[in-house]
Amino acid sequence: MQNRIRIAIIGTGNIGTDLCARLLRDDEFEVVAFVGRRENSPGIELFKKHVRHTITNGIDGLLTIVDEIDGVFDATSAFDHTSHWELLRDCGKWVIDLTPSQIGRPMVPVLIDESNNFELEHQIVSNYSMITCGGQSSAPLIFAMSKFSKKIKEIEVSSSIASMSAGPATRKNIDEYIQSTENLVRLISGCNLTKAILVLNPSEPPIMMRTTVQMEVGNCDIDGVLIELAILVSQVKKYVPGYDVVVEPHFSKPHTISGTVKVTGAGFVLPEYSGNLDIINAAAVETARRHFKKFAHLAKPKTLSI
Amino acid sequence: MTFLYDVTLRDGNHALRHQLTSDFVERYCKLADNSGVWAVEVGHGNGLGASSYLVGKSAEGDFELLSTAREFLKKTKLAVHAIPGFATIRRDLIPAIECGVDVFRIATHSTEATVSEKHISFLAERNMEVHGVLMMSHMNSIEGLISQATLMAKYGASAIILMDSAGHFIPKDVKERVDALKNTLTIEIGFHAHNNLGVAVANAFEARSAGASIIDGASMGLGAGAGNAQLENIVAASLRMNKYESGLDQLLEMSQLVEDSYPKNLPMSTATSIRSGVAGVFSGYAPQVKELSRELGIDINLLWDEVGKRKLVAGQESMIREIANDLMNL
Repeated sequence: MQNRIRIAIIGTGNIGTDLCARLLRDDEFEVVAFVGRRENSPGIELFKKHVRHTITNGIDGLLTIVDEIDGVFDATSAFDHTSHWELLRDCGKWVIDLTPSQIGRPMVPVLIDESNNFELEHQIVSNYSMITCGGQSSAPLIFAMSKFSKKIKEIEVSSSIASMSAGPATRKNIDEYIQSTENLVRLISGCNLTKAILVLNPSEPPIMMRTTVQMEVGNCDIDGVLIELAILVSQVKKYVPGYDVVVEPHFSKPHTISGTVKVTGAGFVLPEYSGNLDIINAAAVETARRHFKKFAHLAKPKTLSI
Repeated sequence: MTFLYDVTLRDGNHALRHQLTSDFVERYCKLADNSGVWAVEVGHGNGLGASSYLVGKSAEGDFELLSTAREFLKKTKLAVHAIPGFATIRRDLIPAIECGVDVFRIATHSTEATVSEKHISFLAERNMEVHGVLMMSHMNSIEGLISQATLMAKYGASAIILMDSAGHFIPKDVKERVDALKNTLTIEIGFHAHNNLGVAVANAFEARSAGASIIDGASMGLGAGAGNAQLENIVAASLRMNKYESGLDQLLEMSQLVEDSYPKNLPMSTATSIRSGVAGVFSGYAPQVKELSRELGIDINLLWDEVGKRKLVAGQESMIREIANDLMNL
C-alpha cells in the first residue's frame, strides 16, 4: 500500500470525473482528494464514499492536506491552472496538466523512450502538459511517418470528433486547440510547416473520433513506417485500448502520405464516443505512472509515530 | 432592399479545385465593382485558412487573392468566409482585417454555433461587419436553427446566413426557415442556395419573398457540386418583376468572363449532383467521391448513399476513403 501513487484531482467536470473513476480502479494509484468548487457538483456526490477527501473549496482546501499527496491532476481551466501550478510547485508537487495552458512540458507517453524531446523531466517537481486529443492521437502516426521520410515539406493533422464530446471549454478554445496541436506536431517531427484542423460532427449515433495525418515528403519508406507504427500502436493500446489504425499510411498521391486512426473511449464514466477525452485522460495517467516510477527511489519512508 | 452577395470567387473556387488565381480575381473584380453587387467574397472554397491536404490546396494564398481583390473593389465590399476549426483569429482574421476586408462571414455546421463565439465577438468588438453562417442547414430542425442563429446574434453577428450546402431544399423548406428566423430575430437574414435539385434560383426568390435581404449567388452558378444560384438569372428575373433597379449588362459580362475562362469547370446538374442533393451530402465532396469510386471500382451511387447515411459534415473528406474501404470489405 505504501508505494501507491497518492494523488489529488482538481476539477469535477467530465474530465475530472472520468479520471477519478479510472484511478479508483487502478491499483497503482490512491485517489486521496477530489477537489471541486461546488458543494452540489455531481462528480463530488458520485465519489464521496470512495475518496478520502472530497473538497469543495478548490485549491485552498487542497493545500490543507497537501502533505498527503505526491502529485496532482489539474482538469480545471488554462486560466486557473496558472495559479494552481505556482502554489503546488511551492509545495513540491508534480502536476499533470489536462488544460490547454501549455505551461508544462508537452508529453506523449508512448514517445518517452523514442524521442529526446519527450524524455521525462529530471526533477520530481515537474509540470507535464497533455496538449490536445488531436495531438495525442496523431503523435504515433507523425513519429512513425516522419522517422521514415526524407525532406518533409509540410504536415497536417485533421481530427473529427462527436459534437456531444466537445464541452464548452473545447468549443471556446478551438483556436488554442489548433495552436497547441500544431506546436506538438513541430516538436515531434522537426517540420516547421504544420496545420491542425478540428471538425465537430453532430450525427446520431455519435461518431468515434478520427484523426488523419497527411504529410508531403520527398520520399518515404512506407514499409518502415508500417512496422514502426505497429510497434507504437501496440504500446499505445496498453493505455488506450480503443486506439486503432483504420487507414494505414499510404501514398494518397505522389509525395503525399496519409494515414488515419480511430479512438474509441474506454467508457469509464464518459461514453465510448468520447475517445478524444479518453485519450487525454489515459495519457495523463500513464505520464504520472512513468514520472512517479522514475523518482520512486527518492520517496521518503513514512516516519513512524511512536 | 436586397443585397446581392457574390460568391463566385469563393464557392466557385470549389469548382476550380481551389486553383483560383489573382489574375482572374483582378479581371472579375474590375467588372463586379460596377455591377451593383453588394459584396464579393474571395478565397479558398472552405474559406480562410482552409488550404490543406484535407480539403484541397489553394493555387495562391488567401492574402494574395484578397489583396488583389481589395485593389480592384472600390464600391463593392470585399468579403471572406471563415470556419472555426480551419481559420483562427491570430493566423487568419487579424491579417484579413489588416488587408482591408469589409465583411466577415463566420461559418459553422448548423448545430455548432458555439464554436463561433470567440471569432464573431472578436470581430464585432472591433466594429467589423460580421455575419453568422449556418452551413448544411438542412441537418438541423427549424427550432434548432432558431436557437443557433440566436446564439450567433448574441455573439455580435449583424446577419444570419442560412446555407443549403447540400442543395437539398425546395422552396417550401426555404420559406419555412426564413419565416421562422424573421419572426424571431431582428437582424438581417440571408440565404445561400445550391442547385443540386435545379431549384437554386427559385429558392433564392422564395427566400427574398420571405424577407431575406442578403441573397447569395455566383456568376454562371460557379460553386461546389451543382453550383450556386446563378447571379445573372436572379437579376434577369428580378428585372422582369421590377424588383431590381441595377442593369444586367455588367452581370452578363461577369458571367461571360467565367464561361470563357473556365469552360471545363462550369457546374451542371448531373446524376451525381442530384444524387448527393437528394442524399443531403455536402456538395464539396463530389471530387473525392468520384475519384475514389474510380480508383477502387466502387459503384458511385452506393458510395454517395453510404456517405449520406454516415451524416458527414463539411471537412470530413478523409472519412470518404475509410467509407470506401469499408464498402470494399463488405
